[in-house]
Amino acid sequence: MFQSPTVRTSFIFLAIALVGLLFADIAITASNPWRDLGNFFFGVVTPNFFSNEGLMTALLRTVSFAFVGVALGSISGFLLALVYRWLPVRILCAFVRAIHELFWALIFLQFFGFHPLTGVLAIAIPYAGIFAKVYSEILEEADPEPGRLLPPRTGVISAFLYTKIPDCWVQLRTYTAYRLECGLRSSAILGFVGLPTLGFYLESAFSQGHYSDAGAMLILFYVLIATMPLWVKPKLLPVYILGAPFFLGEGLPIVWSNVGRFFTQDIVPSPLRGEEGWAGMGAWLGDMFVNQAMPGIWNTVILTQVALVATGIIALLAFPLISTHFGGPVRRTSGHVFLVIMRSTPEYILAYILLQLWGPSMLPAVVALALHNGGIIGHLIGRQSSSIRLRSDAPSGLSRYTYELVPRVYRSFLAFLFYRWEIIMRETAILGILGIYTLGFYVDSAIQNIQFDRAMMLILITASLNIGVDVLGRFIRRKLALQTMPTC
Amino acid sequence: MALNLMRKLMVSSLFCFGAASASAETFVFTAIPDEDETKLVERFRGVADYLSSELNVDVRYIPVKSYAAAVSAFRNNQVQLAWFGGLSGVQARRLVPGSEAIAQGVEDQAFETYFIANTSTGIEPADELASLEESLQGKTFTFGSKGSTSGRLMPEFYIRETFGEQPDEFFSRVGFSGNHTRTLRLVEAGTYEVGALNFQVWEKELADGNIDTDAVQVIWKTPAYPDYQWTIRGDVNERFGEGFKQRVTEALLNLDDQALLESFPRSGFIPASNDDYEPISKTAEEIGILD
Amino acid sequence: MAGFDLSGLTASFGGERVIGPLSLKVKEGEQVALVGKSGAGKSTLMRLIHQHVNRNSSLVPQELGLVNALPVFHNVFMGRLDQHGNWYNTVTLMRPFSRDKDKVRELLKALGMAEKLWIPTASLSGGQRQRVAIARALYRSAPLLLADEPISALDGPMAHQVMQLLKDRFSASVFALHDVEMALAYCNRIVGIQDGQIALDEPAERLVASDIMSLY
Repeated sequence: MFQSPTVRTSFIFLAIALVGLLFADIAITASNPWRDLGNFFFGVVTPNFFSNEGLMTALLRTVSFAFVGVALGSISGFLLALVYRWLPVRILCAFVRAIHELFWALIFLQFFGFHPLTGVLAIAIPYAGIFAKVYSEILEEADPEPGRLLPPRTGVISAFLYTKIPDCWVQLRTYTAYRLECGLRSSAILGFVGLPTLGFYLESAFSQGHYSDAGAMLILFYVLIATMPLWVKPKLLPVYILGAPFFLGEGLPIVWSNVGRFFTQDIVPSPLRGEEGWAGMGAWLGDMFVNQAMPGIWNTVILTQVALVATGIIALLAFPLISTHFGGPVRRTSGHVFLVIMRSTPEYILAYILLQLWGPSMLPAVVALALHNGGIIGHLIGRQSSSIRLRSDAPSGLSRYTYELVPRVYRSFLAFLFYRWEIIMRETAILGILGIYTLGFYVDSAIQNIQFDRAMMLILITASLNIGVDVLGRFIRRKLALQTMPTC
Repeated sequence: MALNLMRKLMVSSLFCFGAASASAETFVFTAIPDEDETKLVERFRGVADYLSSELNVDVRYIPVKSYAAAVSAFRNNQVQLAWFGGLSGVQARRLVPGSEAIAQGVEDQAFETYFIANTSTGIEPADELASLEESLQGKTFTFGSKGSTSGRLMPEFYIRETFGEQPDEFFSRVGFSGNHTRTLRLVEAGTYEVGALNFQVWEKELADGNIDTDAVQVIWKTPAYPDYQWTIRGDVNERFGEGFKQRVTEALLNLDDQALLESFPRSGFIPASNDDYEPISKTAEEIGILD
Repeated sequence: MAGFDLSGLTASFGGERVIGPLSLKVKEGEQVALVGKSGAGKSTLMRLIHQHVNRNSSLVPQELGLVNALPVFHNVFMGRLDQHGNWYNTVTLMRPFSRDKDKVRELLKALGMAEKLWIPTASLSGGQRQRVAIARALYRSAPLLLADEPISALDGPMAHQVMQLLKDRFSASVFALHDVEMALAYCNRIVGIQDGQIALDEPAERLVASDIMSLY
């Protein structure tokens, strides 16, 4: 078994995670975590939908920000996809998508303030980078034959519209719709930094222990996502996209001089602003590297590796819940509900909830990342496993799982896992805002201390780390010849 | 299809942003989110109503999620007035030349931070922080918000000064709960063994019967320092008319709605000046929060 | 008990009856060949029989049903998963026991591919994959063999070798075969299927190839 490169790779990553565990800060520090968890679940089953006047508005804002952000992102992403061959475009896209929506929001908050543009751009910019990459991959895989058979001197645009688009239309549409679901999650999260979406109220309700209010918001959010096929119809889409900008709320007016100030002063490293000049840069960078970047990177990498393996374990354990090869329809339906909840809850919210309940350590982050990402991968390979046709004498129970199903889905499982590696790292970094000592913690601290030069530098470091992991993940997938469709 | 969509989208977003800039002449203020949001929203909506009737302009309060967001909004002129803590006020006034501290609570002249501990730690109250060195070492500890004066700046200053170590070297685990109420709840629940908070929040929660005194107690009180204040931008007169700053100052100093004052809780507001906060500025520089 | 006695066998597909109702009885010592043109219902009948005799048989399905990601050893070992506990099977997945290895290696030797024991099944040729499925059936060594086109991908000499092996190892067997010569050579009873019904049922020695050709 160990000769197989996929198995060997898995065990190498398992070993890294186990070593990481030795260094990771894993603990439940709350004195009565189970009582708190109990209170929370009691809150969820006794939701209070009428506590907050702003709840419906928040839901409306969440949807509006998602629509406008994703629409802008997909249009710009599509245009970028057309020139994606060009290396600077690829680098630009890799860069903007390596920075998390929340970081973008924190940046825009500094000069656009509480204007709707902050939330819209925080979604649109990273999504444009992702759309550009995925759209270009889809377009590239289109059958080139019809294009070759066109009459000579057919215009480039006509050729594109007649040969590429029809071939890719379904895939483009499916991916965009899927991305809209991700956009709803991103939009909800933006509330945590002060935009008027669901996260804003969720954070307040949670931090004050109003679990019934929080439960109501979570339930509404799940319903919103689960019913998407019912209310997101192609025919209604123009209505939504046209209407959404009117429901973003007024926010506060933009003061344009702030924009100039941010780029010409705030983010210029402080030695360059003062008298020290370039001479002081060494000390400034050194100090930041030793005290913030290094510990941040170390914790981010450890947490990412542990969470990655935990994600894999959860996914492997969870996929039989929805596989047609196990259990009856009742078991499978509850499995579906469980996995839908897991993957619709953004890891940021899950981590926030668990941190409140268990106290601060890396544990809530690991569990949140593993549940969310494991839920997504479990769902995908569970669905894939259902399409496998077994021999009529196939074994049942554990042997069916270990001999028939796991070996068959393992490659795509690994493909999804390595695809999500970079996503897990991006999320790990951002969870620092909640108080876990990953890069996000130091970014947030710098912002709290109004040191945007440091914050910017740390965000750039975070982005480079993400790009590095993305490249490594792609290298491993290529090495193992793993293929996958993108997930968010 | 895509082109069509884009055109529609651009037209509609123009509408949207056009509409947003129409309400520019509202006087907007904010406050640092140092306590439970529900309480803050209730308190500052009261203040907004009061100011609106006194000043004859629309007054709006916007809640924010962090101390830095309050400072940024003030700096970016999206709010013109703010209820800051000592440190956030100093930060804001450094960033906005011409801005002034105009009023502070009576209690803010001599503010204190309480160190509190879960009773299961067995730590006994003391008059000197130094005498607690042994019992505090290696415990878990939470500040309030990273940008808080009473919840972070002062306690960190005294920890460093007394024990000669960074908080995360002296304690086994250091966290930032986010606000004072949260610090109280976390130490009460034992999630952290020790914490530091704004003494006013403690006294008010105690008076309201919201503290389980069997679970948590005050173990040390810092010396007094100046804290919260109302800070206003220097350019408000240009926007809202001659003498506007003076009118706002007087309105705040004359605030005598007992229920509203009680919600702060302050017995009243008195004049303040930028120089009152020089000690805070020095302390922040000493521990490297301010350059 | 090697044989079976089934009656009232029927199968429908999309509301249309494709098999039966028919009865089929196979006694110990019988090597039955199901013959008939493709689409006559041989595979469906095979599946029906397997459903009824359940786990008491060794199966070689037409689609083989191998797990490509696993090495040849495990694909063969899977024939006896139901005879071991979960812990045994799970340990075997990581580190096979030597007595199982010996047994499987011996079987593969008889099928001319002992050196492939640890090769992932995905990298085998069609004929080799078919022999792995046959090895699994042999390894299971149930009294009854149900084999659907077990030699379709094998070349001449190997096909004969495999048929001989299967004939020797099972006391009763049912083959679906499209190769009439093979059916006559290795089976002692021929059952012809036409439009889902039994159109011919004779001992092999009474038939010659041309008798069967009428079914096609």
